[in-house]
Amino acid sequence: MDNPLTVDTLFHLGPVPITTPVAVTWALMIGLTLFAWLSTRRLALVPGTLQTVLELFVTTVDGQVHDTMQRDPAPFRALIGTIFLFVLVANWTAVLPGVEPPTAHIETDAALAMIVFVATIAYGISGRGWRGYLATFAEPSWVMIPLNLVEQITRTFSLVVRLFGNVMSGVFVVGIVLSLAGLFLPIPLMALDLLTGAVQAYIFAVLATVFIGAAAGETPVAAKPDKEDTSP
Amino acid sequence: MTIDWWTLGLQTVNLVVLVWILARFLFRPVSQIIAERRAAAHAALDDADAARRMAESARDEARAEAEKTAALRAQILAAAREEATGEKDRLLNEARAAAELLRAEGASELERMRRAQQRALSREAGELAADIAGKLLDRIPDSARISGFIEGLAEAVAALPEASRRDLGAGGTVRLRAARDLTGTERTLLEQSLKDALGHAPELHIETDPGLIAGLEIVGPHAIVRNHLRADLDRIREEMADNG
Amino acid sequence: MTENIVEVVSIIAAALAVGFGAIGPALGEGRAVAAAMDAIARQPEAAGTLSRTLFVGLAMIETMAIYTLVIALLVLFANPFV
Repeated sequence: MDNPLTVDTLFHLGPVPITTPVAVTWALMIGLTLFAWLSTRRLALVPGTLQTVLELFVTTVDGQVHDTMQRDPAPFRALIGTIFLFVLVANWTAVLPGVEPPTAHIETDAALAMIVFVATIAYGISGRGWRGYLATFAEPSWVMIPLNLVEQITRTFSLVVRLFGNVMSGVFVVGIVLSLAGLFLPIPLMALDLLTGAVQAYIFAVLATVFIGAAAGETPVAAKPDKEDTSP
Repeated sequence: MTIDWWTLGLQTVNLVVLVWILARFLFRPVSQIIAERRAAAHAALDDADAARRMAESARDEARAEAEKTAALRAQILAAAREEATGEKDRLLNEARAAAELLRAEGASELERMRRAQQRALSREAGELAADIAGKLLDRIPDSARISGFIEGLAEAVAALPEASRRDLGAGGTVRLRAARDLTGTERTLLEQSLKDALGHAPELHIETDPGLIAGLEIVGPHAIVRNHLRADLDRIREEMADNG
Repeated sequence: MTENIVEVVSIIAAALAVGFGAIGPALGEGRAVAAAMDAIARQPEAAGTLSRTLFVGLAMIETMAIYTLVIALLVLFANPFV
């Protein structure tokens, strides 16, 4: 049984070792980019099926962000939506034979959590200003400053380990079962992987929204986006 | 546990690039088209609202027009009804007047017929009375038919105006009508009496007329002096007819 | 045996970690599912919202077991003392 915690190096690009997750991520990026470009090339006021699905997705992301933050979702739409979409697609690559999900390796999860971490700080500063954002660490009193600082680290670490553990354990369990009985038996576990992957993508996106929203502060601005206009 | 830092760095760059790509190619166009559709829907709603308002105003106008028409119609109807009422009243009045006229004519005709009948009755009664008086006079002496009236005739002649008296008998004979032929004594008495009354003796031309029943009558050129029952009966009958 | 003592102890520790670490999340998930069933029985029309929230909650609770699994795998495959 292979060690699930190590990464395989496929080839070297100069001094840079290109590992499996990076290669899979590139493939996913190319696929997503092509999909986005092709599907948004001809948008119409009267939508087709694909456009309806896309609009439903965007509207749902907007609604979730608005519900969580109570503010206009436009500045956060791309980040949250991309995180959800990438994690979902990456998790679901587990069903492809011979492909390991990038999220089953801690580097990818750490990269995602780091982006969320940086985005939290950036949105907090842009939303409250330097002093305002730093003042949030002293709430409810200055005694809480160390605890708040530690919380920033631990919740990011928890984000990493949650996604990594779930996906990696799914892949690992499927690998173990596959080594015992190769036919039909892994199918329910793979189905469970799909469900877990979707739920984990949702949880990751929601937690990122909560973190960013808490940092950006409560400035209730815009009205709730209507969903009637886009529902098919 | 080993972390491949190259992989971590590459993945971070990859994800940032992916965020940019998807923001550029997926989220921006889709949210734009959603906003466009929302604007279009709002515009369509506004258009529909304007159209509805226009339709409402048109409906209000039509309603006002219909009300005006109804009012005009009611006015015309009321005028026609009034006219008809007036016409009816007029016709009624005319008919009533015609009926009244007819009734009055009938009443006057009736009155006229009644008067004629009464007059006829009176005449008949007078004739009857004359007959009765004639028959009754037959019972008394024949001399009473003349002699009793000579005195009265003389008085009546005396009562005439002076001019009439002078004329009477001045121009020749005087017609004297008697109920029967006068006897000699009666004639003498009569001439004597007339002579006393007139102051001169007229020449008498005596005629006999049984229609006088009893009495005498002098017919002058300008005056007639009646003193006989026929005249009395005629007077009574006239008075009765006048009173009736 | 004595030279493999670290591996033996690591395997025992991994088994214990997963075993005991699964107790808490198991109890928690059981309570969550029971509460959700109760709520669906009371309000069947809210079954959709409840089951969606239940799945997310179960995933969050399961994360606790996943943490122990990660620790066990670290002990087994990335033991710093081996």
